[in-house]
Amino acid sequence: MADVKVKVQPPDADPVEIENRIIELCHQFPHGITDQVIQNEMPHIEAQQRAVAINRLLSMGQLDLLRSNTGLLYRIKDSQNAGKMKGSDNQEKLVYQIIEDAGNKGIWSRDIRYKSNLPLTEINKILKNLESKKLIKAVKSVAASKKKVYMLYNLQPDRSVTGGAWYSDQDFESEFVEVLNQQCFKFLQTKAETARESKQNPMIQRNSSFASSHEVWKYICELGISKVELSMEDIETILNTLIYDGKVEMTIIAAKEGTVGSVDGHMKLYRAVNPIIPPTGLVRAPCGLCPVFDDCHEGGEISPSNCIYMTEWLEF
Amino acid sequence: MTQAEIKLCSLLLQEHFGEIVEKIGVHLIRTGSQPLRVIAHDTGTSLDQVKKALCVLIQHNLVIYQVHKRGVVEYEAQCSRVLRMLRYPRYIYTAKTLYSDTGELIVEELLLNGKMTMSAVVKKVADRLTETMEDGKTMDYAEVSNTFMRLADTHFVQRCPWVPATENSDPGPLPPAPILVISEKDMYLVPKLSLIGKGKRRRSSDEDATGEPKAKRSKHSTDNKEPIPDDGIYWQANLDRFHQHFRDQAIVSAVANRMDQIFRSLPVGYNISKQVLDQYLTLLADDPLEFVGKSGDSGGGMYVINLHKALGSLATATLESVVQERFGSRCARIFRLVLQKKHLEQKQVEDFAMIPAKEAKDMLYKMLSGNFISLQEIPKTPDHAPSRTFYLYTVNILSAARMLLHRCYKSIANLIERRQFETKENKRLLEKSQRVEAIIASMQATGAEEAQLQEIEEMITAPERQQLETLKRNVNKLDASEIQVDETIFLLESYIESTMKRQ
Repeated sequence: MADVKVKVQPPDADPVEIENRIIELCHQFPHGITDQVIQNEMPHIEAQQRAVAINRLLSMGQLDLLRSNTGLLYRIKDSQNAGKMKGSDNQEKLVYQIIEDAGNKGIWSRDIRYKSNLPLTEINKILKNLESKKLIKAVKSVAASKKKVYMLYNLQPDRSVTGGAWYSDQDFESEFVEVLNQQCFKFLQTKAETARESKQNPMIQRNSSFASSHEVWKYICELGISKVELSMEDIETILNTLIYDGKVEMTIIAAKEGTVGSVDGHMKLYRAVNPIIPPTGLVRAPCGLCPVFDDCHEGGEISPSNCIYMTEWLEF
Repeated sequence: MTQAEIKLCSLLLQEHFGEIVEKIGVHLIRTGSQPLRVIAHDTGTSLDQVKKALCVLIQHNLVIYQVHKRGVVEYEAQCSRVLRMLRYPRYIYTAKTLYSDTGELIVEELLLNGKMTMSAVVKKVADRLTETMEDGKTMDYAEVSNTFMRLADTHFVQRCPWVPATENSDPGPLPPAPILVISEKDMYLVPKLSLIGKGKRRRSSDEDATGEPKAKRSKHSTDNKEPIPDDGIYWQANLDRFHQHFRDQAIVSAVANRMDQIFRSLPVGYNISKQVLDQYLTLLADDPLEFVGKSGDSGGGMYVINLHKALGSLATATLESVVQERFGSRCARIFRLVLQKKHLEQKQVEDFAMIPAKEAKDMLYKMLSGNFISLQEIPKTPDHAPSRTFYLYTVNILSAARMLLHRCYKSIANLIERRQFETKENKRLLEKSQRVEAIIASMQATGAEEAQLQEIEEMITAPERQQLETLKRNVNKLDASEIQVDETIFLLESYIESTMKRQ
């Protein structure tokens, strides 16, 4: 009879048993357990067996490996996620985690590379993989049109990426802004006109020619020319462009909290104004607008005597 | 002095005074202060001619002289004063609006002659006014002197400095150049003159035909046997006072433009009730333009006009206007934006101005190459690497104003050159028309018939007449344009001067 060596294994030293115990522990501490905790639970298991069990669980995707300031933490991975990542390997999981952390704003491929320390080719392959699995999506950033940021598939891109109300599909809507610009200006102009007509006491006249940003906002909303919902800040940016056009001036007055349209205790008032000087003398002469002014001198190719702009202007 | 300024001075001097004066004047402007012999030597003109040219220039206040050590007298040209000659029409027009035709003619005479005695001015102006009046009426000297006195009272004309009368008969050697002094209080003192007389009408044209040269005749008509009572007291136009007036006008019209709706309801005349006045003053003080400020409550409210701020706003408005006309209103929007926010990054410019990125970039670069906007670099790392540096766009109003001023000078020089060119082109035609006019005038004097006159007039064909008309129109247009550009120059110069004074 052959001598069969039977290794006496201590009770519950079975690898599967170890794994199950670890999983149970993880369930007990959903925030994660350290190696120390496992050791305390199962003091009779050697470090090597423990390591093997943990590695198996990690590769099966049932445990998450996290680093904390005290050391390594093992956390149970929820089953749904575990199912999703079944076919992926560690690197993909890593990349997926990084993208998940980026949240709403998404993350650029170069940043993923920095965080994961993986080579570029690997990253690209993984990203393609994840995209085909419909786990992540690429959103074109409005700031730099060549840049693509990646975020989780079901997340809504943040406003800073898509540009907000003024952008539709990454395109800046110039005509929309122009139309709004003109409409606001016309509104303020008519308000100033009516105030002028009323011919009252000058203080009242001036005050009634002002319109608060809230009034303008209401007017624009009622006009209904915008398909997108516009907030008061949006209207204020449009009114600011009118200020930079020199057509409108703004004052801020203190308003009680609670009055319509007041923000933080003050209100912005806008008024249509005229420019303070008419177009200046220099621009009435052709030299003021001449594109080749610096090349012009007597006796040269371009000179006052043979200036074609002057000839045209004189014939006017 | 920049090249553009020197060119402009040279054109002005040539047009008003001729070749020789121009040569001397430009030489002095270029080289600064120089004594007589050096001028003669460097320009290669005879001493006599140099002396005459300098006389003319000094008479018109364009050159001043100074005695240096060792008794050398040096002459210095004042470029800025030469450039004022562009503004003569504006001065004359202002005098006309304020003091009607009499004032206009007085200022015109003073500007054309540099310095004159009061009696000479009065006489000349009376003569000129009499000519334009109807037959039989003449201009009284008293009226003209009245206007002259009013001009002196409001400081539009002032006395020239004179040699102080020495108390004792000093037998010492005469100084190489007279030292002229004037005290503040004497500057506007009108001497007590009893100018009695009436303006004389120039002899009618039938006496012209007697062939007497005009110069001889005028000697007969003026009674210069009487000693001139105010000999030695010369008057000149006070340009600074005119400038003050222009500046005030500019500020008033700027405020009127901004608040016109409110001014319309202002009652005419000065009898405004106190409350209404209070309201208007508060309105002015509260206006974002900040021209008027309230500096205390003494006497019911102390209001002050902030001149530097006003000039700054006017200069800024000029810059904005140029940007708008040259580059378009979107560029003007960006320009005003950078002006208000002082320093902005590329991205911020796009966001605030609501202009697509590509266009905004293009416009910023255009303005940058036109020197309206400049870049401020703020490095993040000591090695100024471009990728790690902030680039901020900013507007430096003073330097932009200077750049624009230089452009104005060159533009006016161009306009003058074009005007001279146009006149030269049609010289032949102009001479012909002048000859024809002279012939017609002489024939009318000798009582020729209508038919003969018609014949002479037809010497100028219709297309030629057309050409003459066009020429006249063009020359007028160019002239008017020079005056308009000069308005811009005035605003910019006032702003630069005010800023430099504060520093």
